[in-house]
This record gives sequence, structure tokens and C-alpha cells, in this order.
Amino acid sequence: MLSVDFEKRLDNFHLRPRFDAAEELIVLLGPSGSGKSLTLRAIAGLLRPDSGRIELPSGVVFDSAGRIDLAPQARSVGYVVQDLALFPHLSVAENIAFGLNGWPKAQQRQRVRELVELLALDGLESRLPRETSGGQQQRVALGRALAARPRVLLLDEPFNALDAPIRNALRREVSRLRRQLGLLALFVTHDLQEAYALADRIAIYDDGAVLQCGARDDVFRSPASVRVAQLLEARNIFEGRVVSKTEAFTEIETPWFRGRARGEGNLAPGARAALCVRPEHVILLRRDRPHSNQLETTLDVELVDELATGNNHRLYLKLAGTEDCIMEADVSAHPYQVMGIATQREWSVALTLEQTVAIPLADA
Amino acid sequence: MIAAIQPEDIRVSLQVAGLSTLICIVVGLPLAWLLARYRFRGRVLLEIAVTLPLVLPPTVVGYYLLRALGRGSTVGRFLEDELGLSVVFTWYGAALAAAIVSIPFLIRTAQAAFELVDPELEQVAQTLGRSRLGVFRAITLPLAARGIAAGIALAFARAIGEFGATVVLAGNIPGKTRTLPISVYDAVQAGDIARANATALVLIGISLASLLVFSWSLVLVRR
Repeated sequence: MLSVDFEKRLDNFHLRPRFDAAEELIVLLGPSGSGKSLTLRAIAGLLRPDSGRIELPSGVVFDSAGRIDLAPQARSVGYVVQDLALFPHLSVAENIAFGLNGWPKAQQRQRVRELVELLALDGLESRLPRETSGGQQQRVALGRALAARPRVLLLDEPFNALDAPIRNALRREVSRLRRQLGLLALFVTHDLQEAYALADRIAIYDDGAVLQCGARDDVFRSPASVRVAQLLEARNIFEGRVVSKTEAFTEIETPWFRGRARGEGNLAPGARAALCVRPEHVILLRRDRPHSNQLETTLDVELVDELATGNNHRLYLKLAGTEDCIMEADVSAHPYQVMGIATQREWSVALTLEQTVAIPLADA
Repeated sequence: MIAAIQPEDIRVSLQVAGLSTLICIVVGLPLAWLLARYRFRGRVLLEIAVTLPLVLPPTVVGYYLLRALGRGSTVGRFLEDELGLSVVFTWYGAALAAAIVSIPFLIRTAQAAFELVDPELEQVAQTLGRSRLGVFRAITLPLAARGIAAGIALAFARAIGEFGATVVLAGNIPGKTRTLPISVYDAVQAGDIARANATALVLIGISLASLLVFSWSLVLVRR
């Protein structure tokens, strides 16, 4: 069990994160400067909160009320910092063994051998960090952090400097290791795809606070606020007012159209709310084959722009009859070709109830 | 020509410079560490104080040491009456004077070396279970070692060449406080050109050797 709830005031910045996690991988996602790395430093004992409490699986490491503040060396967390901070004067094996100070020599050697094997660093033991590649340095840093068998692993954007293929391989590696070792891992990133690929649980950071924390799919499916939806790049967020509400759906009137979202939550008619749907959930339809399902929102649109991103096409669709209301839709390469999207500008879109969410708005 | 050298001058010089360098290390290294790693009140004043001997005429340093530690001062009387120690006209007095004018070289060089060690390395080392002292020994010291060696070599070279403060505080007593630079002055005063030449040559040799150690350390640092 991990539970973080503390406050720290710095120059022009008020850090006040609050979240919890079990033995799983929790991603701290948010823009740079939102306090994710500072949170890791506080958990590691390198930043002292003004008040609050931090509990790790091994016990409480900070509690301002109980006057507990364990030194970094007593917290037994594995901490991988952004630029790795490998000890430049020590070999790969010595770096990995650094946290094993005090173990009998034979056990140290045994443990280093295990990690070298686990992380595929065979043959590099006597090299200095600068004599190894970026991906290898990454694994050395991981091995050094894991050596003393911590129960918590802190990873601060560790794969930033690497090429995409190595990064993907290391992400899988981290997932595998975490499960294999039964660790609780905190992973800081500002990269949405990385967050999605890794997270069991996700905490959304913004300006020093955690806006929402929950299982990954829950957070993606039901952002608690428009800001969370924006940070998760939901893109299609239309503010309006609830006009009717049933068990099955919440109908929202926006300045541009009327649409339906899932019925969960307790939004009453008249309340301000935003209708939100992710680009990958916007369904593109031919206009001559109108959809029949009454519960879905169908709208006529005009393709005004597009952006190819490798396997995907991001389509910018202007709602018919509006000046500037753009809906974004993702279409993968195959349907893009089959449907002949490149040559046809007039389309319809359907928003399914299942994938459309109503987000409450504060009353203006 | 070298035969004109007084071996006791070499012995006194090495003794004085050796003790001076030791004092510099013991006092200077912690100060360098403090200046490199901590922000505290009076830090700038401390930095100025340890740099001052660099620009002050050594005779001024020697004069104030004489005033502070001589028979005429409370401290000096206490040292002599209670502990039987006199820094005036003794070789360790000469070493003290040399240490004060040499210590800026060690402090400034070692401070720069400490500052070059990324604090993040020390922090990560701490999260790996080491105490502050353990981190200093395992990470900071080895990474700053070459810079520190350079500082020691410079401080030693400066102590070997020290004249003004030493002569004012410790005088010119052959076999006791007459170091090589003082001997050169002494020989010139006495018209003993052979001794002046020989002593000057030996001085140049020792100084060059210390500077060689210094440059060698710096070359290694840059790697």
C-alpha cells in the first residue's frame, strides 16, 4: 500500500499531491513543472514536505503529525532519476552493487550476477558507464535501483533520452520486472502514450495537485473534469447544459448541437456539463447510409484538414452549419484507404453512448 | 656549483612546506567542502577571508601573526607559559605563516572540484542506503580527488616559495627557520653568489616539480 498526501510550498509553487496505490504500476502523468518529479523526491526523502504523510509498503516514512521523517538511506526505495546519475568512476558491476554495502561479499557477487542476467548486461560488468550504450546505461540504473530488493521503485521519465524502439523494449521490460518482483512502481512521464502503455493506475497532475487518480481505464473513460479530459488529450470537449437525464443517457445541449452521453453520474437537467468523446471513438459514416440507433448522436460534418501520423490519420471535421466547431477523429490507414477518405469531403459522424461521457462543469 | 647549497636549508624548507601543506589540508578541505555545498549566512565573508592572503602582501600577514601570537600578545604568552610553545622564531611558526598564505590555493581549487561533483550523484547514493559520510567517501572524494590533488600541489609549491610572512614571524635562523628563499636573500646580502645561485636552482627545481604534479592532476581531471 502506498499513500501520499502532503503539502510543500516552494517559490511560486504549491505542491499538494494526494493519491494511493497498491502493488501495481502507477503513472504520474502531467505537464512538465506540475510537480511529478518533486513528488518522487519527497517519497525518496530528498525533499521534505511542510506537512502531511507518506506511507510506503514498508511503513510510514514521513508524518508531520507523528514527527516521522526517515532519512533517504532508511527508506529502501529504488530511485531511477531522469538522467540516471550512474557513478562515473565505478564499473557496471560496482554501480549495481552500490546499494549492497554491508552484505557479505559472496552474496553481493551473487546478487550482482542475478541482476546482470536479469537485465542482459552480461560481459559489461567491468566497463565504466560511459563505455556502454544509452539502453545499457538505463538497465544499469534499473539494476542499481533494484539490487537491494526495495519494495518501491521510483522511475522519473527514465526513457526520455532513448530512441523509440529501445524505449518500447524497456517499457515492456519494466512491466515484466515489476510483475515478476511484485513491486509497487511509480512512473513519472508527460507522454500520454507511455502512460497508457504502462499504467495499471494513473494519477493526473496539474499545477502541483492531483486532479484525479484511479484505474487507468476508469480515468480514461470518465475524466472527472474538463482539465483532466484535456490533459488526456480527449480533444472533443463541448461545453453546454444538461437538457434531459435518464438512467441510460444524459442529453446535453451545446451551442452547436445536441448530443447524448452515458447516463452515469447525477447531473440534473439545467446543470452545466461538457460532452466529451476521444478522437479514436468518433465513428466516421457515409452520409448516404444514415444510422438508425436513436441513442447515438449523429452529425453531418465536412472534412477540412487532416494529419497523418504513421499508421493513423487525424481528421479535422467541421460540423455542418457551424463556422468553427471542429471535431477530431482518428482513422487508421486501412479504413482510410477503403473508405476513400482522401477524395471525399462530406461525411457524417456517430458518437456512441458507450464512449461519450458527460463531464460536470462548475457553474459560471 | 650545487656544492655551495646548505643541506639544512633544504631540510628546513621541506619541513616547513610539509607541515604547512598538512595544515592546509586539515583546515582547508572541510572549508572547501562547506563553501562548495552549503549556502549559509556569512558565506561570502568566509570566501573573502580565505582568499584575502592571496592578495595581501605576505609581510602584512607575518606582521599580524607576530602581533597576534608573539610574546606581546595574550595568546602568545599563554602558549609560551602554559604550553611551552613559541611560534616566533621556530620552524612550526614558519609553517603556520606559510600555511596562511598557501591555503587560498588549496581551498579555491578543492572548492571548484567539489562543485563539479553532481549533487544528484550524492542524493542517489543516499537513497541506496549510504550515510552522508559514506557518500562522501564513496562518491564525492573519489570524483573530486584529482582537483584536490591539484590544490595540494599548488599549496605545497606556494609554501616552498614563501618568504615574506615567514621571515617576519620566524626570522632567519640557519638550520631552524632559514628556508631556501630566505637563504637566497641571506646569501645575496652576504655577497655569497655561489650559495645564492645554487639555492635558487634548487628552488626552481622543487617548484617545477610541484607544478608538474599540479598540471598532471589537472590533465587527469579533464578526462
